[in-house]
Amino acid sequence: MEQQKHFIKDIEIKNFKCFKDFKADGFGRVNLIGGKNNVGKTAFMEACYINRQYTSQAIADIIFSRYLINLFDELLKEVGIKYILNFINHKAKDIVGGEVISNLGISEIKYFENELKNEKILSNIIYFDTNIQSNKRYDEWYSIIIENGIEDNVDKLIQIFDTNIDKFRIIKSQPKCRKKDDKKYYNLNEFGDGIAKIISFICLLLAKKKSIVFIDEIENGIHYTNLDELWRIILTISKEQNVQVFATTHSDECIESYARVAKSLEDEEITFIELGKNKKDEIRAMVYPYEWFIDEIEQNHEVRGW
Amino acid sequence: MVIIVEGKDDKSFIVALLNDLRKNGEIVLQDNINFDNYIEVMGGKSKLLDSKHTKYKKIQLKIDNDNIQKVLFIFDCDFKEDDNICGGMEKSLECFSNLKKELNWNIAINVYVFNKNLDYFLMDTIKDKDCYQDFKGLINCLDIEKLKPNKKPIANLYRDLYPYPEFDFKDDNFEDIKQKLKNLFKEDNG
Repeated sequence: MEQQKHFIKDIEIKNFKCFKDFKADGFGRVNLIGGKNNVGKTAFMEACYINRQYTSQAIADIIFSRYLINLFDELLKEVGIKYILNFINHKAKDIVGGEVISNLGISEIKYFENELKNEKILSNIIYFDTNIQSNKRYDEWYSIIIENGIEDNVDKLIQIFDTNIDKFRIIKSQPKCRKKDDKKYYNLNEFGDGIAKIISFICLLLAKKKSIVFIDEIENGIHYTNLDELWRIILTISKEQNVQVFATTHSDECIESYARVAKSLEDEEITFIELGKNKKDEIRAMVYPYEWFIDEIEQNHEVRGW
Repeated sequence: MVIIVEGKDDKSFIVALLNDLRKNGEIVLQDNINFDNYIEVMGGKSKLLDSKHTKYKKIQLKIDNDNIQKVLFIFDCDFKEDDNICGGMEKSLECFSNLKKELNWNIAINVYVFNKNLDYFLMDTIKDKDCYQDFKGLINCLDIEKLKPNKKPIANLYRDLYPYPEFDFKDDNFEDIKQKLKNLFKEDNG
């Protein structure tokens, strides 16, 4: 398995949320995480994210993703940065309890403040758990896509999901899709959550070369008949762009689709991470490399936690 | 828990037997849980008896995580003349004992070894049926026993015609393996 230097290959988590003393290794380029409710799937990704970022940006992103990000943009304008930073500081105390980001300090908050003032999202490590992305994010991703001259790729990939859309563009900072029949552009929010989510994945993965992306509940808003196409896009673009992906799911159909597409693409750089609890009620991980994972699915074994 | 078997035929047989036990209330399991989940197909007897098989690494990790707390091995003893190392009941048990030692698992381990093989085992449950003599006559007429002496063509033909549930699981022949399966699923499902 040829992995890139920027990929997360293992993690150790101590006293972070529901994790007391946890280790896991053997991660691949694309990693799907399954487990029962409240076993820490999201917390596992948050820990990976914070551990990698090690800045207030990480905490802020997680807080952002729990609220409507556009609402936050408006709040920023209306209320001002000082209030927002106080809020983040306050929330950070609830979120951070362990060693993962124990060295969070004023300087890092200031670093974050400067980033906000410059209206930039600098990170190459992206966390999102909502179907709705801010216009700012689309703007940033699409600018890179245009710079690289690959906007036609975006259109082609979107058409796999919805043949009624023939173009995606950012017009006056608004993400818009053109309908094939009347050749008119409509705001993205006039389409369903599913297509918005898929467009955000396509833009993100095409724009963010050599990045790490965390996606919570990846199947949300996607019809099960489209899951194979979703995985085909994620596996294909992540390989081309050298992007590592971590995603959580509750869905059996999503897991089966992941295995089916990985097998058809012969993509052995994937893993499945099953989270469960031992007799002492401590969270443990079972990291299935490609061969084991495919075998488990073909044998009709349950991999969604124990 | 996990039931470790040689091949897909063995798995189908065990699942049919487990479903029969569930139907009769002798094994209680949630409706949405299927027995496939508990069966690991190793891909043949030699692989089942090989402690270096990659599937044993996977099972080891599941044991370490308290996801598996009991194991039942089910395999054929086969024939000594076919395999001098692990063929026949005595050698098979010897090989299994070595496997156990090498795996060194600290969980409850049980084993059921079919005398000869699964097909012979199943034959014992259908030999009293009226049609058996006709089957036997056909096999003798075609001289198939000579061509495939250890495969028991009557059982193969019978299984092709009737799926596993057609076997009479009430036959005394099944008692021992049924008891081992019931013990495995008793109380906790670890």
